[in-house]
Amino acid sequence: MSLIPGIIAFGLYSACLLAIGAVGFTLQFGITNVLNLAYGSILTGAMFVDYAIGQGIPNIWFGILLGAVSGALISVLFGRFIVMPYVRRGTSLVAMAMVTIGVALVIQYTLESIQGPFVYSYQVAHQTTVRFAGVTMSEEQLIIIGAALVLMAAVHALLQYTRLGLAMRATAVHPGLARSCGVSTERVRFTAWLVSGALCGISGVLLGISTGSFNSVTGGPFFITLVVAAIIGGVGKPYGAMIGALVIGLVSEAAAAVISPDYKNIVAWVILIVVLIVRPQGIFAEFASRRELIG
Amino acid sequence: MSPAVQFYASSLAILFGINLIAVWGLDLQYGVSGIFNFAYIVFQSAGAYTAGLFALHPAAYYQMNETYIGGLNMPFPIPLLAATAAGALLAIPLYLIGIRRLRGDYQAMAMLVLSLIATAFADAQVNLVNGPTGISFVPKPLAAQLPLTFLGYQWAYLGFVAVITLIVFWITRSIVSSPFGRVLRAVRDSETAAASLGRRVSRARLTVFVLGGGLAGLSGGLLMQYVTAWSPSSWLYPETFLFLTVIVVGGTANLAGNALGTLLVPILIIEGTRFLPQIGYPGLIDSLDWVVIGLVMLAFLWFRPQGLLPERRRSWVTFLPGGRRSLGDLLRPRRAVPLPGEAGTEG
Repeated sequence: MSLIPGIIAFGLYSACLLAIGAVGFTLQFGITNVLNLAYGSILTGAMFVDYAIGQGIPNIWFGILLGAVSGALISVLFGRFIVMPYVRRGTSLVAMAMVTIGVALVIQYTLESIQGPFVYSYQVAHQTTVRFAGVTMSEEQLIIIGAALVLMAAVHALLQYTRLGLAMRATAVHPGLARSCGVSTERVRFTAWLVSGALCGISGVLLGISTGSFNSVTGGPFFITLVVAAIIGGVGKPYGAMIGALVIGLVSEAAAAVISPDYKNIVAWVILIVVLIVRPQGIFAEFASRRELIG
Repeated sequence: MSPAVQFYASSLAILFGINLIAVWGLDLQYGVSGIFNFAYIVFQSAGAYTAGLFALHPAAYYQMNETYIGGLNMPFPIPLLAATAAGALLAIPLYLIGIRRLRGDYQAMAMLVLSLIATAFADAQVNLVNGPTGISFVPKPLAAQLPLTFLGYQWAYLGFVAVITLIVFWITRSIVSSPFGRVLRAVRDSETAAASLGRRVSRARLTVFVLGGGLAGLSGGLLMQYVTAWSPSSWLYPETFLFLTVIVVGGTANLAGNALGTLLVPILIIEGTRFLPQIGYPGLIDSLDWVVIGLVMLAFLWFRPQGLLPERRRSWVTFLPGGRRSLGDLLRPRRAVPLPGEAGTEG
């Protein structure tokens, strides 16, 4: 029974780490309707940009800021100069997924050819630990949990209490109708790429800090796990992604504690299969099947 | 020809045949029927492992501390037949989970996740197929029985692969040009129209998914019995994108286009650069190959999304969704235009 506090604490921690990325992914997908399989590579890219600029990140807050800026920059450029031209050219939904894969391959393997056979790690300055209810967590882990909660609250505030958030929600539901009501879908699209990129970059840096060491493939499995969190919550629904991340975090930590750490990711992904079989709501073919691409 | 050149040329030709079988299988699903199977490599891998486990002796026989199930040590055609069956059977559960009720890009997402699950599972469950190390020393078919030199066997295997490739070509062409092939294209072009004309959409999709899976399994079996070793790192998910790039480059739903794409992408880019003088650290050229593949995919989707050899127009089709006027036109993707009455149906 002594396992339970640990599972809850580390499950919450994994969930926070995942939620940041999953909300970013789902927000952008919900608004632009482009399945962005390059998200994982952007995440890894931000991780590397930070490493190069921050020289190993002496300060976690500086790292988060740098991650947000670099992720947002890569994401906005990607949205503006790659996704938008293809969409305007009339590329179909699925061909867009292939375009993002092409970009993902280019980013990932460019990083791989730059990094060579090395593994990188951030040098996080302080490692004080906190003990609570029989669970020991490091200060960084608590900061990550706090940062995730703040970011989720910020996304909530953006979506619920600002005109821009209203425009974003409207565009996600029906872009044509939103446009005819005077919503600038152009601006909404830009915001979606910006916010999702910032969240993506932050989650990349936090992942790098949390795993200790990373290379060009670290982002891949993490990206898949956050996609799973997004699908479980119903793709395009930020609150769903938060719930999905919570489920995945708790269940995968429980699996790591009870079965074996090797199964942490597998169990998380198997949840997806269960969801696809039992409750495919939100991913039914009927839903969003005639959605328009926003370029 | 010197032996080294003979070996290189024959192995390129063998890999061409094996890849082409896999590409035809994937194009039956992707190009002809519009199913987005981003886990295609899993089917090939299932075939490879099955062929290996049928051909090998039991693990204890080798005394190498390997752990895998099976090890049936079956004679020549059985491992390949089992590989084909494994790919085809695997298609049924994966279809039910990832394809049946999902729209295109969700299919892609679900299948991608399934592909990663499969790799991670093979890695973690060491007693299944020997975990990350994989299985090796799989006997080549009839290698002990045939009185051939190393090179002679190489050419014989090429002949065998060539015969299989021709048979697969004949089967695939028959499927594509049969009434069933027309149903598949109808399902791809407009599911609603096909269903309203009484075609069983889901059954057609499942059938083609199983057929494609079987071809993937067969190609995996042939590959396994040629390279004799297979591990989770041989079938990471980017390999599926390699096949998709082949189809995008060569042309969707065009068997000759598939062959051209196979020649250009896996053979020229991946295999052709294998013997370049090493630059930088070992593996740099491999990474750069993949950068090139990504760029090729982007370039083709921009400049020539229909591929080098587009699908040929098979009939007059005057009214198709989205204001397109012909099947050929349909292949040039454009912004989805809602049909009258369909706008505003999404919630």
